[in-house]
Amino acid sequence: MNNIVVFAGSSHVDLVDKICENLGIERSQVKLGKFSNGETSISIEESVREKDVYVIQSGCGHVNDNFMELLILINACKTADASRVTAVMPYFSYSRQPDIPYTAKGAPLISKAKEKYTFDSHPGTPVPQSMLTVEKPTSPSSTKSHNASNLDSPSKQHALQSPTPLRPSELRPTSSTSSRIPMIPNGKAEHPEQDQSSNADTLFNASNSSYKLWVAQAGTLIANLLTTAGADHVITMDLHDSQFQGFFDIPVDNLYCKPITQSYIQHHIPNYQDCVVVSPDAGGAKRAAKIADVLELSFAMIHKERRSQLLKGPPGATLTSGGGVPVSAKPLIESLDLKQSSSGSGNNKYVNTTMLVGDVRNKECIIVDDLVDTSYTLTRAAKLLKDQGATKVYALITHGIFSGDALNRIGQSVIDKIIVTNSIPQNETIKALGAERVEVLDVSNIFAEAIRRIHNGESISILFEHGW
Amino acid sequence: MATNSIKLLAGNSHPELAKNIAHNLGLPLSNIGVYQYSNKETSVTIGESIRDEDVYIIQTGTGEQEINDFLMELLIIIHACRTASARRITAVIPNFPYARQDKKDKSRAPITAKLVAQMLETAGCNHVITMDLHASQIQGFFHIPVDNLYAEPSVLKYMQHKTDIGNAILVSPDAGGAKRVASLADKLDLNFALIHKERQKANEISRMVLVGDVTGKTCLLIDDMADTCGTLVKASDTLLEHGAKEVLAIVTHGIFSGSAEQKLKNSKLSRIVCTNTVPVDLDVNILDQIDVSPTLAEAIRRLHNGESVSYLFTHMTI
Repeated sequence: MNNIVVFAGSSHVDLVDKICENLGIERSQVKLGKFSNGETSISIEESVREKDVYVIQSGCGHVNDNFMELLILINACKTADASRVTAVMPYFSYSRQPDIPYTAKGAPLISKAKEKYTFDSHPGTPVPQSMLTVEKPTSPSSTKSHNASNLDSPSKQHALQSPTPLRPSELRPTSSTSSRIPMIPNGKAEHPEQDQSSNADTLFNASNSSYKLWVAQAGTLIANLLTTAGADHVITMDLHDSQFQGFFDIPVDNLYCKPITQSYIQHHIPNYQDCVVVSPDAGGAKRAAKIADVLELSFAMIHKERRSQLLKGPPGATLTSGGGVPVSAKPLIESLDLKQSSSGSGNNKYVNTTMLVGDVRNKECIIVDDLVDTSYTLTRAAKLLKDQGATKVYALITHGIFSGDALNRIGQSVIDKIIVTNSIPQNETIKALGAERVEVLDVSNIFAEAIRRIHNGESISILFEHGW
Repeated sequence: MATNSIKLLAGNSHPELAKNIAHNLGLPLSNIGVYQYSNKETSVTIGESIRDEDVYIIQTGTGEQEINDFLMELLIIIHACRTASARRITAVIPNFPYARQDKKDKSRAPITAKLVAQMLETAGCNHVITMDLHASQIQGFFHIPVDNLYAEPSVLKYMQHKTDIGNAILVSPDAGGAKRVASLADKLDLNFALIHKERQKANEISRMVLVGDVTGKTCLLIDDMADTCGTLVKASDTLLEHGAKEVLAIVTHGIFSGSAEQKLKNSKLSRIVCTNTVPVDLDVNILDQIDVSPTLAEAIRRLHNGESVSYLFTHMTI
């Protein structure tokens, strides 16, 4: 390995050490820190002139700090005459772009750490046993859906309409100093323009009701910033949107975790042949279905939908996609998450429904997803599966971000085992959930092999199917 | 209908300054939601249409914990405005972040100021307004117009009205600031002195040499920024040792990071004056502030109307 230099950003040094071990080289020396005014300071301790430089930084922790550090490192290498600089981002920050402002589904909400979560409290929500049940949104159980209970009451009214940022003021995860940046949901008085109106909802809609709110999509910007800083190549893993690659003008190698996931299922889940692979939302269906196909397992999917109150079961035909997938005669519709939006006109009523497509009764389920952030989707899916008679629920996740109170939430959920890769440091996860409930898969060898092949100008497509 | 009118947007870095600027322009701040997700990614929602408008985004470089967050906020807001078809986007950055990392002073050192300039352009910024750049050469890092305003007229006015100007001497705490101080001294018709410092590490000074006579004088220490305040405190000690009557420090950017508060409390400075380009959260009774929002507001107004800005370099707006 001549002329190769591997730098570690401060986000995930352990992973870099493992990658370097796999490559048989030493991690190159770089001093990372901050000036007293908070500006990121770096100092590269060895020559990079005419070298092939790899900078490894995961999009976790204090995301913006880490991202700036990555940009500065890339830029410094470039100005120090590195021949090529590759940004290796095991988890690509800002790759998931929620487009529905601040609803429970679209945007990651933060909520108070609680003793008990109603989403999985077994006596809490009565679960209908009939095959097709639609609860009225006004039924008492609907108020117990975890969404509604985790939001403060004013926001409950508007959560479906527009952002209602409310911050539990006591909650500042990881940082004890009070930040000037409001969190979502945010405090009422943090914003200069919110002084008049304590409610962002009325603020946004009062003057221009015809204007539809939208959340800025940072994806293109992030891609362009990396290019601007001087990155010549990007390596990442399991991008949330595969379209993200198209935002770049430089080559992007999107590695897959699938080979590792598959091998884990085959070797560590007893009787995996009888398991059902479950995708917790429609977006991940393709990813999960691929794994089910390769391992010849049955497949189920959870579909979340916000629809008008006049809820009908979708026609059976549309649900029996994928030959050989066991689908019950009628779809199971479970209205777990009923919410009534009372804002706006009176006939503007919507309910959030969650339905399971596929049969999981008396089966072990493996939920497959690319990332878990607030864990709302995952824990809700697990509950639905258990309610539908699943005997055991595994969760196989590539990127475990676990922000906010996600770990608490998972801790109290019905998930029996969570399997996650080390694309993001998972020490906290193991500490919070215990080593027997968490399995951390190592992806360093995939990254190391990709780096080795890219450095030598070889094809990396074999990694997509066979791992390393 | 688009009117090509001024739209003022503010990030979270300095709401008071944004409010003052808006007040000076007689305009409201536009609705905008800048938040952080629980995973610490920044989220921006622009609350009203800015299509074909002249957008000004006010965000300063501040925060020991959040400076990068604020920078990302600014970039994402700019990018959001760009994708929302704003006619022109101007970033108003009173204190330019990373301004001190402007040269390759040792091997492989990053020129982050240049990177920030490029990032602003990449995000879609058309124009930059800033104030008292640490090195005016930073303007050369941009391919877009940069208006580097001066706090000098405001500072001048402050000195004339609130200090013992008759018995004063201006002092530059380092050679780099000599030009700035000399210009002020000319305008006030005062003498000036200079302190030569020998720096071994960033934010640490070893030795100070005073050039000039300050005996019995009120010394006005002038600098572009006060960060850890090590320089200012040491300089004031040096001046008092040389027989100065009292020492006042006047700076543009009062960053006051690290142990600045403690240092100032223990110092012999009789007053520390800074502008409000960055929010100052300092529990020191010798602190005084100068409001520069009129200058920034006037620059925005002139830029919007296509008038010359250079008048502001020498004159204070009322």
